[in-house]
Amino acid sequence: MAAPSSTNNAILTADHINVRFETAEGPVIAVDDVSFDVKQGEFFSVIGPSGCGKSTLFNVIGGLLSHHQGTIKVGGETISEPHKSIGMVFQEESTFPWRTVTDNVAFPLELIGMEKAQRIERAKHFIGMVGLNGFENRYPGELSGGMRQRVSLARTLASEPKILLMDEPFAALDEQTRLLLGDKVLQIQQQLKQTTLLITHNITEAVQMSDRILVMTYRPGKVKRIVDIDLPRPRTSEIVGSDAFGHYVAQIWSDLREEASRGMRDQEKHVMDEGASS
Amino acid sequence: MAETGRLTGNPAPALSPVTLLRAAIILGVLAIWEFLSHSGWLYRDVVPSLLAIGRALLELLTHGEYYFNLGVTTAEVGFALLVGGVAGVAAGILLGANRFLAKAFEPYLYYLGPTPKIIFFPIMIMYFGVGPESKVALGTLSCFFPVALSVAAGMRQIDRVLIRVGYSFRANTWQMVMKIYLPAMRHPIINGVRLGLGVALIGVLLAETKLSNKGIGFLIIQAYSIFDMPRMYAMLIVLFVLSIGANALVGRLGGLHSIKRT
Repeated sequence: MAAPSSTNNAILTADHINVRFETAEGPVIAVDDVSFDVKQGEFFSVIGPSGCGKSTLFNVIGGLLSHHQGTIKVGGETISEPHKSIGMVFQEESTFPWRTVTDNVAFPLELIGMEKAQRIERAKHFIGMVGLNGFENRYPGELSGGMRQRVSLARTLASEPKILLMDEPFAALDEQTRLLLGDKVLQIQQQLKQTTLLITHNITEAVQMSDRILVMTYRPGKVKRIVDIDLPRPRTSEIVGSDAFGHYVAQIWSDLREEASRGMRDQEKHVMDEGASS
Repeated sequence: MAETGRLTGNPAPALSPVTLLRAAIILGVLAIWEFLSHSGWLYRDVVPSLLAIGRALLELLTHGEYYFNLGVTTAEVGFALLVGGVAGVAAGILLGANRFLAKAFEPYLYYLGPTPKIIFFPIMIMYFGVGPESKVALGTLSCFFPVALSVAAGMRQIDRVLIRVGYSFRANTWQMVMKIYLPAMRHPIINGVRLGLGVALIGVLLAETKLSNKGIGFLIIQAYSIFDMPRMYAMLIVLFVLSIGANALVGRLGGLHSIKRT
C-alpha cells in the first residue's frame, strides 16, 4: 500500500505502522504495514474481524502503546505518548463509579486545573449534548449501560480533542440502543464537525457513520481496502433501509467474509491444537 | 385468625421468639453468675456479685483517673492507626504497582502478617521505653500488615480501563494516585483500616497489660494484681461496650461508601 500523500488536509497520519507481540508460541504480527490518513472533519472507520489488530491500532494511535514501528503524526507532530489532540473512548465500561455524572465529565478539565465553576459549566454543556440533562448528580451505578457510555463520550468530548478516537464504543450495548446512540454520535459529530476515528467490527455501524472505511485483513492485520462511502449527509439510522446502503454493506461484507472465516478457522485450529497437546 | 395475623406482619418484634431467647440467655447467665458468687464454692471475689460490679462500675465512671487512662489508650490506638495505616497504604500501593517488589516482599508480609506482634514487645520497650511510645509502636506494627496486604490486593483488582482512561487524559503521577488509584481502592482501604483498627486495639491493650504505667490495660492488670475483681470486671464491661461502638463506627463509615457501585 502506498504511503498517503501529505499534500492534503490530513490531520492524522499513520505511516507504515507495524506492531509485533512476543508470545509463548513465537512472535505474532498484530499490525502489518498499515498506512492511512484522516482528514479534518472526516468520519473515518477501521473495520476488521476479531483478532485483526484493531484494538492494537487504537492503542498505538492513542499513544498507550509505544513499541511499534512507523509513525503516527497529529497535525505534523509525531506522537509517542497520549496526545492532547486525541480523545479516546474505550470499549469497556470506563466511567468512574465514585464520581457523579458531572464530575466524570469534568474529569479532563480538572486535570488541566480549570477552576470549579467553569468546569462544571463546561461539563453541563457536554452532558446536554449527549442528552443526559437531569442526570448530572447521579452516579454511574444508577445509570444504564448506554447512558454510562454516553457519559464516557461526554467526558472525552469535554477535553475538546481535535480527533475523537473510539474503540467499539457500542459493542457492549443491545442493538436498539446501539442504533440510537449511533444517531447521537452522528449528530454530535456533524454539529462539532468533529474529526472521528471509529474502530469497529460492525459493518452497519461503519457504513451508517463513515466517510471512508478502512477494511483490515485477519492476522496479520493489513489494509485490505479503503472504501469511500458516498451517502448523503446528514444521516440517521433510517438510512439503513436504502439500496445504496445495502450495496456498501454487501461490498464490505464480501471483503470481510473471507477474512472472518479465515480467522474462525484459525481459532478452531488453535483450539484443536490445544486439545491435542493437553 | 392466626394466619391473618402472620400476613399483616410482626407487630412487636421486641417480643419475637429470638429476642425472648436472647433476653433469657442474658438473664440466665446473670442468674448463674449471681448464684455462683453467693455459693461460696469459688475463692472470694473470683466471681463478685452483680451488685459489687455495679458499684465498681459507678465508682469507675465517676472518677477522672479512669478517663485519663482511657484517653491515653485511645490516643495510643489513634496514633498507631494513623502511622500504621498511612504506612500500610503507601506500602500496599508500592507493592500493588510494582510486580518485582511484590514478588520480592510479599512472602515476608504473608508470613509476618499473622505472627502475634506481642513477641516484638521486648524489642519495642528497648527502643521506645515503658511509656505510651512502645504501645504505639506495637499497635503500628500490628496495624501495618492487614492494611498493606489489603491495599496491595485491592490495587491489583482495579479495573485496568480506568487507569488507561487516566493516561489517555495525560494525568500525571500525582493525579493518577489521588484521582484514580486511591478512589478506585476505597473499599479495600476501608476494609484494611477496619482490620487494622481491630489489631491495633489488641496490640495496644496487650502491650499495656504486659508492661506499662498508664492506659486501660494497665488499670485492668493493676486491679487484677491487687485482686480487685469487681473493678476489673467493671473495666472489662466498659471496654467491651467501647469496642462494639468503635467497630460500629468504622462499619458505618464503610457502609456509607459502599452504597455507590463497586
